[in-house]
Amino acid sequence: MAMVRLDKLSKNYGDVVALEEVDLEVEEGEFMTLLGPSGSGKTTMLNLIAGMIAPTSGRVFIDGRDVSTVPPNKRGLGMVFQNYALMPHMTIFENIAFPLRVRKTANDVVKREVGRVLDLIQLPHVADRKPRELSGGQQQRIALARAIVYNPSIILMDEPLGALDKKLRETMQLELKRIHTELGITMLYVTHDQEEALTMSDRIILLSDGQIEQMGEPDHLYFNPNGLFSADFLGDSNMLDATVESGGETTSVRTAEGLTLIAKASAISEPGRSVKVMVRPENVSIRRSDESFDNAIQGKVIDSIILGGVVKHYVDMGRGTAEEEAMVVEELNRPGRTSIRPGVEVTLGWNASDMHVLPLEGRLPDA
Amino acid sequence: MAAVEKPVGSARSSGAIFLKITAWFGFLFLLMPSFIVLPMSFGNQYEMVFPPDSFSTYLYEQFFFQSNWMDATFLSFRVAISSTILALVLGVPAAYSIVRGTYPGKRYVAMFLMSPILVPIIVIALGLYLYFASLGIVGTEIGLIFAHTMFTTPFVIVTSMAGLRHVDQSLETAATIMGAGVMQTFFKVTLPLLKPAMFAGGLFAFLMSFDEVVIAYFIADTGRMTLPVKMFNSIQWEISPVLAAVSALLTVLSLVVCVLAASFQKKS
Repeated sequence: MAMVRLDKLSKNYGDVVALEEVDLEVEEGEFMTLLGPSGSGKTTMLNLIAGMIAPTSGRVFIDGRDVSTVPPNKRGLGMVFQNYALMPHMTIFENIAFPLRVRKTANDVVKREVGRVLDLIQLPHVADRKPRELSGGQQQRIALARAIVYNPSIILMDEPLGALDKKLRETMQLELKRIHTELGITMLYVTHDQEEALTMSDRIILLSDGQIEQMGEPDHLYFNPNGLFSADFLGDSNMLDATVESGGETTSVRTAEGLTLIAKASAISEPGRSVKVMVRPENVSIRRSDESFDNAIQGKVIDSIILGGVVKHYVDMGRGTAEEEAMVVEELNRPGRTSIRPGVEVTLGWNASDMHVLPLEGRLPDA
Repeated sequence: MAAVEKPVGSARSSGAIFLKITAWFGFLFLLMPSFIVLPMSFGNQYEMVFPPDSFSTYLYEQFFFQSNWMDATFLSFRVAISSTILALVLGVPAAYSIVRGTYPGKRYVAMFLMSPILVPIIVIALGLYLYFASLGIVGTEIGLIFAHTMFTTPFVIVTSMAGLRHVDQSLETAATIMGAGVMQTFFKVTLPLLKPAMFAGGLFAFLMSFDEVVIAYFIADTGRMTLPVKMFNSIQWEISPVLAAVSALLTVLSLVVCVLAASFQKKS
């Protein structure tokens, strides 16, 4: 059964639509991520579920109960904030005990439960300290422990790792994932960081302008973007303006530069239609003589950048030499890789199955 | 090259010295009354002279044991403490409502609550006198307490509002989502975090009430005078040298309270 269900949920601030008729179901035990740029409505959605703001229309169900008019303290939720929101005047023990004390839990139970979650987050020795004596990462783990300790039906997280540095963020991502797997608790996670979303989520909801742009498993979103926004927001992409020439098992298009390319089958392949075609940089190869691809184009290397494990080549394919006009190729960096110097003529190749046809605006119909 | 190694900003430092000297003159000017009163309080028992021509603690003995000065002092303490408590009880929730509330017309409520600061104190004193006369509490201790509560509450509101703005609202949100009701959140989260601001505001209110003379002069009667009112009276009728001792003690009390407030604010 769905742990959280949103039914045509909308929120307007005057004339501004923050969230527009969103329908959503989060399954029990699921790690669901709300992903989107700032202003996309993801925090509004979280606050509507938490009850911090009232919806303009629509309903919120938690654990099968209509909570649309229930105050936040009666919704039985847990929440982790970006700034931790630990009580500075309480010890770590009292911070974690707070939700239990509010529920008038017996003292020995409080002691046992706080001990249990401190073990779970692997910080068993900090009970007597004050929050300010802990590091940011430790404080966030305490905040998580505090959200777990009273077994809420769902834990909401509002960019909880946003204040941490990159290394610590990656450790905490794995830590969160471990705790999620261990407890099987339902989590609704808000972030604007696509990598974070791809790393942790069972499912991702991509939001833009108060609407759900696309929803699905990370792989599905990455490999099958349903529109320009999804393709652009998740991962890197090469986009080309094109006109459909013919549809069928593959889609044949003619680009603005006059190239004929073959893309995969599409629902919008009526001949003559203006579209964008997209291919991910890691699916484009610099062709060697013994390889063949469905698509091959000539270009001149503008620049090559080594990013550690991967190398990015910017190739002028006749559109211009600016970074956004170049075709981006990404390949793994290995010892013995033939280095490619700027100015060299290369042939780029990729297969039809890696090239997507996307509408100029809006979204593809659901597959 | 050695000649170049004149410290940077040495041209400026003569200006800095001038500034320092001016500042010290300013301090001295402000402290002068205290410097005059303190030696005088250890002086002659018959008249106030400066500099004192003898040394004795006679005036302090007089203040503590010989006269009805202590009655006025105790009354001042009772009034100051009671009105401070009342001002906190009224002011803190009012500040909470102004800072955290979302109702329309909030600004006007705030302005109304602050209005005693804007009205000339003599007008307040007269208004309270006429009002309290009709209630029949002129010349009573409770009348004094109420009057001073009204006088000090705006200051408690101001300090509490400043304090509340420093209390991270997400802490209250967190408490609410964890299941705490409005009252629980207020008493377990907001109030403990507001303590330093309340303490500072309370001390301030205490001092203001203890020093206040205009309102107290209107409300008090001859049998029930606060310390400043009695001082004012005695300077009009008798110019008792005990005044010097009282002034010295008042100065010390103010100093102690201010140091307390400052150290408490530093600690939090």
